[in-house]
Amino acid sequence: MKQQRCKMAATMGSGVKVPRNFRLLEELEEGQKGVGDGTVSWGLEDDEDMTLTRWTGMITGPPRTIYENRIYSLKIECGPKYPEAPPLCFVFPVPPFVRYVTKINMNGVNSSNGVVDPRAISVLAKWQNSCSIKVVLRELRRLMMSKENMKLPQPPEGQC
Amino acid sequence: MAENGESSGPPRPSRGPAAAQGPASPPAEPKIIKVTVKTPKEKEEFAVPENSSVQQFKEAISKRFKSQTDQLVLIFAGKILKDQDTLIQHGIHDGLTVHLVIKSQNRPQGQSTQPSNVAGTNTTSASTPRSNSTSVSTNSNPFGLGSLGGLAGLSSLGLSSTNFSELQNQMQQQLLSSPEMMIQIMENPFVQSMLSNPDLMRQLIMANPQMQQLIQRNPEISHLLNNPDIMRQTLEIARNPAMMQEMMRNQDLALSNLESIPGGYNALRRMYTDIQEPMLNAAQEQFGGNPFASVGSSSTSGEGTQPSRTENRDPLPNPWAPPPATQSSATTSTTTSSGSGSGSSSSSATGNTVAAANYVASIFSTPGMQSLLQQITENPQLIQNMLSAPYMRSMMQSLSQNPDLAAQMMLNSPVFTANPQLQEQMRPQLPAFLQQMQNPDTLSAMSNPRAMQALMQIQQGLQTLATEAPGLIPSFTPGVGVGVLGTAIGPVGPVTPIGPIGPIVPFTPIGPIGPIGPTGPGSTGSGGPPGPTVSSSTPSETTSPTSESGPNQQFIQQMVQALAGASPPQLPNPEVRFQQQLEQLNAMGFLNREANLQALIATGGDINAAIERLLGSQPS
Repeated sequence: MKQQRCKMAATMGSGVKVPRNFRLLEELEEGQKGVGDGTVSWGLEDDEDMTLTRWTGMITGPPRTIYENRIYSLKIECGPKYPEAPPLCFVFPVPPFVRYVTKINMNGVNSSNGVVDPRAISVLAKWQNSCSIKVVLRELRRLMMSKENMKLPQPPEGQC
Repeated sequence: MAENGESSGPPRPSRGPAAAQGPASPPAEPKIIKVTVKTPKEKEEFAVPENSSVQQFKEAISKRFKSQTDQLVLIFAGKILKDQDTLIQHGIHDGLTVHLVIKSQNRPQGQSTQPSNVAGTNTTSASTPRSNSTSVSTNSNPFGLGSLGGLAGLSSLGLSSTNFSELQNQMQQQLLSSPEMMIQIMENPFVQSMLSNPDLMRQLIMANPQMQQLIQRNPEISHLLNNPDIMRQTLEIARNPAMMQEMMRNQDLALSNLESIPGGYNALRRMYTDIQEPMLNAAQEQFGGNPFASVGSSSTSGEGTQPSRTENRDPLPNPWAPPPATQSSATTSTTTSSGSGSGSSSSSATGNTVAAANYVASIFSTPGMQSLLQQITENPQLIQNMLSAPYMRSMMQSLSQNPDLAAQMMLNSPVFTANPQLQEQMRPQLPAFLQQMQNPDTLSAMSNPRAMQALMQIQQGLQTLATEAPGLIPSFTPGVGVGVLGTAIGPVGPVTPIGPIGPIVPFTPIGPIGPIGPTGPGSTGSGGPPGPTVSSSTPSETTSPTSESGPNQQFIQQMVQALAGASPPQLPNPEVRFQQQLEQLNAMGFLNREANLQALIATGGDINAAIERLLGSQPS
């Protein structure tokens, strides 16, 4: 499967910029290897997805905030223009993909449909193609720790 | 199937197991793979069969991580692994990493063991007010007083992260209730390194002479300090803000309960005087005596447990415990968590260095301090209570009747011993000072919220002025002016400074500034309010650093006059201003009074610099 992907990437041609699929493959590998401290994780939603578009991410709520002890699942869509264009993120993906969904109350996230507002989150607003899914997840986690967010009351866990 | 080219003849129905037992060949059947399991804190490697289910995997993990399987949440590639899934299903192969989150009910993951220890300590301490563990939490962080104020000072001095300035908007009580501040503080690597070194902490504590006295009186304390476990626990407590809050809360409860039982107040008072007061002084001394040196140690070491100190003092209003000592120290303690913010010790600028003054000023200039003051002003009842506590009254009376005693107390303060000038200044003014404190007007003035507010406004105004028009004031040390005022305003705890200032307040709002003036000539021709001279406030003396008294006075008087719209500032007679210094230079052998005076004027009253000038000007 990986070889298939690599072939696909190769056929996309390589200009000066790293082609999209290369990037996404790299990110996939990184997500699987679990770099970092384990507080964020990401991977393809569907392993058979050849377009590498749909990703899932996971953020553990940072300690000493109101988000602590919670795990948030995100849905991330890397469009065709990725990495030039920022990905779309939804903090709670729609069932039935996940067993349960934990909603979040946080600045920059639409509380009804979970859309992460790309204008509100700085990484997305000032997206550069060196940013990645990992960066987005980490940034969201960091924002959870910010003064404005860390005390916002959260809905009970596991709301579908 | 036999003709498939297999070497063996008969078909092998049990191909799976055979293949599994086969040598070396990597079939699709279960082989052992190594999967790394990573938590935010730890990383472990597990060898599991490839086809195992997530449930089985969790069981292996639960043994290694000592948790229950239902507490474990496994995440791979952004997906949560459900128990009935298999590792293969999620594409977990050899060498990959899976993230683990251990859900614990009330503690953040990975910290389950420490808080339980702390909780144990906490409950024991809560139950026995005089217990050693309580002492520990207060004692082991004597510099707690430095705490927030210290940190505030630090940030103003540019030593710590900018986050502090935002965070200082809250009182420590709010600090306790809002984790953000504690988090910020605790995340300061400096703080953490300080806190994580029990040896260092112990050294710091032991290095304080007052602490040593305290230890002599209460040997249990030394046992506590030497007990690494307790130290470590306390440090952990200090580091874990959530734990701190818990502890504080419990201690509050315990103390308030204690207070209500008959004889409880006395017990608390005893506890306070025996333990906390010297601690307070110790902390203050160290803090004020050498702000920069101790700033790292004192201020950062105990901010967490400071609340325990201040809260202890709340039911025992004894701001007077060695009034000069508290005056001279430059600690800012934050308010207690119980009750309305009765801030503990005020910050009076030390009489020693400009740095100290700066430090103090910066402390006061922090919004945190101001909000403290605000709370004080809003709660005159508190001050009233404190001042009218019979305990305090008797102490003040005895002090006033026995000026020697007061002088003795003052002299005992290490800060003062280091600075005989200050002592000299203090001594004659002590009786008047004490009397003022007893003056009911003082009490009422201090409990007058508007008065306090006026004081605060002045302080703020001075501060603004300092930042806006520093050129206006030559040799301006923001700390001093503000510090002095801060002294005036600050102390809910060591009410000392407020005392003399108090009666002035009714005069004019400018009153408080005045007291600073009269190191030499009281009114020095300033058109300012007469109040200043009346107060003859000692605290102002203590606050204004002796060596810096010249420029400070000058500035203050200028301020006073500017505010009063009086005549243009006139310098007090330098000779009178520098009287102290002149006498010292004389004693040292510099007999040329004129030259001394010139040097002193040039250096603004700094004796050491003046000496160098004098020596430099003399042919070798």
